[in-house]
Amino acid sequence: MSIDAVPAPGAGRRGALFGGRVQEAAMLLPALALIAVFLLLPFLSSFRIALTNERLIPRPVPPRFVGLDNFQNILSDHEFWVALWNVARFTLMVLPVQCGFALAVALILNTKLPFRNVFRGLFFLPAITSMVVVCVIWATLFQYPTGPFNQILSVLSFGMAGPVDWLGDPRFAMPALVLLSAWQAYGFQMIVYLAGLQGIPESLYEAAELDGANRWQRFWHVTMPSLRQTHIFVLIITTIQAFKLFTQVNILTQGGPRGTTDTVVHYMFTAGFVNQRLGLASAVAIILFFIVLIVSLVQRFVVRDRK
Amino acid sequence: MTSISHPASLAPAPSRPVPRDWSRVIAVVAVSILALVVISPLFLLAVASLKPDRFQILGDMGSFRAFWVSDPSLQNFRDVWTFSGALPFGRYLLNSLIILFVTVLGGVFLNSMAAFVLAWGRLPGRAVILTALIALYIVPQESIVLPLLTIVNRVGLSDSFAAQILPFMASPLYIFLIYQFFIQVPRDIYDAATVDGAGPFRIYWSVFLPISLPVLATVAILLGIETWNQYLWPLMVTQTDRARPISVGIASFFGHDSVYWNSAMAASVMMMIPVLIFYLAFQRWFVSSFISSAVKG
Repeated sequence: MSIDAVPAPGAGRRGALFGGRVQEAAMLLPALALIAVFLLLPFLSSFRIALTNERLIPRPVPPRFVGLDNFQNILSDHEFWVALWNVARFTLMVLPVQCGFALAVALILNTKLPFRNVFRGLFFLPAITSMVVVCVIWATLFQYPTGPFNQILSVLSFGMAGPVDWLGDPRFAMPALVLLSAWQAYGFQMIVYLAGLQGIPESLYEAAELDGANRWQRFWHVTMPSLRQTHIFVLIITTIQAFKLFTQVNILTQGGPRGTTDTVVHYMFTAGFVNQRLGLASAVAIILFFIVLIVSLVQRFVVRDRK
Repeated sequence: MTSISHPASLAPAPSRPVPRDWSRVIAVVAVSILALVVISPLFLLAVASLKPDRFQILGDMGSFRAFWVSDPSLQNFRDVWTFSGALPFGRYLLNSLIILFVTVLGGVFLNSMAAFVLAWGRLPGRAVILTALIALYIVPQESIVLPLLTIVNRVGLSDSFAAQILPFMASPLYIFLIYQFFIQVPRDIYDAATVDGAGPFRIYWSVFLPISLPVLATVAILLGIETWNQYLWPLMVTQTDRARPISVGIASFFGHDSVYWNSAMAASVMMMIPVLIFYLAFQRWFVSSFISSAVKG
């Protein structure tokens, strides 16, 4: 893709050309050096560390090569599979909630509604709220036994459903995290959907109307098919984000109650940072990388397929 | 809600102006209610931060008193705004702002400089470098933080500002975003500058930078939000208050038997205010930068 941007070589005198190249190298080098030291090097060394029993704080005994033991330990650890399953559960729950709500708001904002820019600004506010702040607010909303969610539950059920310890009950901790995560992040999907909706040509709707399609039919047969690429993109991005789930878990539940909100990154953090088992944690990091890689490749494949 | 959920539903209908006006009013009222419900948690946060009694905050949360404060007080902010003590939030906020400004300014500069060379330079091997950068972009931060921690410890940068700035200034994603903008600049502009005898840095600085404000703003906003919200990395790399950012500071309210909700609320408001100011000033840029981060996908 850079080919057509390459200017023809040989312009200017030879000395100027050389001086220009030195300057270019000096401009390129700082960014490349930082990326090499702080991204490429740790990435490559995680593959080496994962094959050793290295500790975070080095011990007097030098680390030993252990082959694939770390991977074997992880894959035979029940807790890792629980963490993986939790992340999958989180993804399956957060996808419809977050993307569905994002699409609904995008559809509303895509009308000729007055003050739509003001509304767009308001609906986007949660997306710029830091997850740590979101945790502070939602911890009080989920509070047991008198928080707003319990009050609403009590009113809606005419006092039949008792107060729920949202973040402390194994059945409800994950759905609670799903709700607050969806609230924080839907703004991004909303903006992406809005861009997708604005790319649908008006003529498609006019044609459908001429054919006598009602509003519901126009939505299912014009809007939804036209949003196909947007759906795929949103699906992939949300899935990747979900697999990196950590901050809310670390702050609100520490993986509990009874491991029901443990996640892959939280498992890695606990193994590597809390328990100092760097080799083991690096193996988890590599597994995480391959999960993200596969999900991204699926997206590339699906999108290219239809072009 | 379904009546306004379709672009065609509010298409001009000149024959019946009066009912249409009413339907618009109803639509605005309905959407306003929805918007208020959705952002009510932020409103609750602002109200609660003005209540000095932490038990009152919790007691009020379950009723409509959560939306109202009878005698607003800035006591929580006064308590939290210290530069020493158990949780010095003044210092945390300052730390976060320092990290933010250096990362964003340095990041925009270094990434755009590299992008310029990749797009218009004559250095050999640019195509290879670009491909490598695109491949590296996929590596999630989460999967490199632990080896990164050992590197940072080894070079003696642990618990420092540099450890929170240097690893995130340069980024394949932002180089690529700016690169995509630069290659669309017409050839003539570059040629005209070369004829004048300007070197690469001069062309970059006085020709390309001034016409690239949209993409630079995009990168600044995305990098800014990312930096402001960093949590996992500073949680691991900061051991003292010296360089600890406000995100980790707020999180340390949790994990005790009783949370000081009044202080947590005030600290959270303090963390939101800088973002809100930027958001209100540059709302359009915020939204469009999120779109361009999506399109590159």
